[in-house]
Amino acid sequence: MRKNPDLEKGEVSLFDGEFARCPQPVYAALRDHCPVSRASLTGAPVISRYDDVMWALRHPEIFSSAVDLQLALGTERPMIPQQIDPPDQTRYRRLLDPHFSRRKMEELVPPIRAEANALIDRFEKDGGVEFNEEFAVPLPCSAFLSLLGLPKSDLDFFLGLKDGIIRPQKSRPELFEGLSGPEHMAKGKELRAESGRQIYEYFETVIDDRTATRRDDLMTRLVHAEIEGEKLSREEILDICFLLLLAGLDTVTATLGCNVAYLAENPEQRRSIAADPGLIPGAVEELLRWETPVTAVPRVVKKDVEIRGFKLKEGDLATLLLGAANIDDAHFEGAESVDFERGRNIHVAFGAGPHRCLGSHLARMELQVAMEEWHRRIPDYWVREGETPRYSPGIREVMYLPLVWGAGASS
Amino acid sequence: MKLRVDLAKCVGHGRCYVLAPDLFDEDDRGYCVLRHEQVPPDQVDQARLGEENCPEGAISIQED
Repeated sequence: MRKNPDLEKGEVSLFDGEFARCPQPVYAALRDHCPVSRASLTGAPVISRYDDVMWALRHPEIFSSAVDLQLALGTERPMIPQQIDPPDQTRYRRLLDPHFSRRKMEELVPPIRAEANALIDRFEKDGGVEFNEEFAVPLPCSAFLSLLGLPKSDLDFFLGLKDGIIRPQKSRPELFEGLSGPEHMAKGKELRAESGRQIYEYFETVIDDRTATRRDDLMTRLVHAEIEGEKLSREEILDICFLLLLAGLDTVTATLGCNVAYLAENPEQRRSIAADPGLIPGAVEELLRWETPVTAVPRVVKKDVEIRGFKLKEGDLATLLLGAANIDDAHFEGAESVDFERGRNIHVAFGAGPHRCLGSHLARMELQVAMEEWHRRIPDYWVREGETPRYSPGIREVMYLPLVWGAGASS
Repeated sequence: MKLRVDLAKCVGHGRCYVLAPDLFDEDDRGYCVLRHEQVPPDQVDQARLGEENCPEGAISIQED
């Protein structure tokens, strides 16, 4: 069997099913023996120690976020502000940060709490559910719609578009039948571009509507916002919306899945938070650290730089392995144990430096509310016997998480 | 004991004002604002908690 990581070659596979399910041993091996490795297949440098990841995150002039062309996510221009660098990025963040502050996000607690309960109402009495499809996917999408002020009836439309970009093969499997290698890649790219166009079109319509009629929502605020006396252009608004859609849905879905899968398999810790919801904020932080659902962020190297004797070349697409940084024992006491009452937790699950996740306060709030409501209503649950949760690589969405509880557990 | 915040380093993680709300507040962007520089004796633990949980190392403590 292929070794992962292959320390003799200095290589790691980040798109391996076992790595997605349980990445921590791979992280530890990289951190200890190969702090800068190469991704198998692409040869791209992979940086895994906390100090090095942090340094890269704080030096956008060397580790640039302008990766839109390399990643080809169906966009026609860079997403704002994720795929642009300071100083332009700073202007956009000044504008956007107040709409995503912790205080502002508290306004969304009641609708998200109501939505979490409405979802649970649908399956609580069944004694079991496939968690991803029925809870982890719809909840963040519904939060996104509330935040932007879009109708709830657009939920399925958005989920389809998001999959069309992130997992084109999942959204239209029939189109990929019999394709391999370059043809498969080309089909993926084509579907991404098609979904991308639909996203642009949809938001064009919303921009027209909010230009004509002001409402109390984020779309209206974006349409009428100004930076240094100038309104955002239509393209700038579209590039912001594209980011909110792509970054705001899958990430929270993945985190909900990782958290609940962990808790289903660790009954003692699950019971501790069910008995004392006051532990939930600490549990959310600790599981962000331990699970790090967004395992890595990409950066393009702007000038040759050497890290721990490894030479990175201008133009390299580097991977900053946030998950590995988060279990670096140089910065976390008992880094490889999960402690919901950890005193010091400086994890970088939301990144750090100027690109610290714009939605981090929204994500934390969604995760806390979801964990509170879930454990209030379904305090005891397990993975259905004989089944294994299935994780996707990259963003660790738990694509298949069959849970059971109550009478469902014994049937 | 005195608290200092280096606003050139703060990027709005918001850990300080969540963990130690008596000492730290947020501005409209969600960046750190000190409620008071001088740490009351009964809030020394909170001050240390806020300081050690800043991922950017933007908060420092000056002992008397």
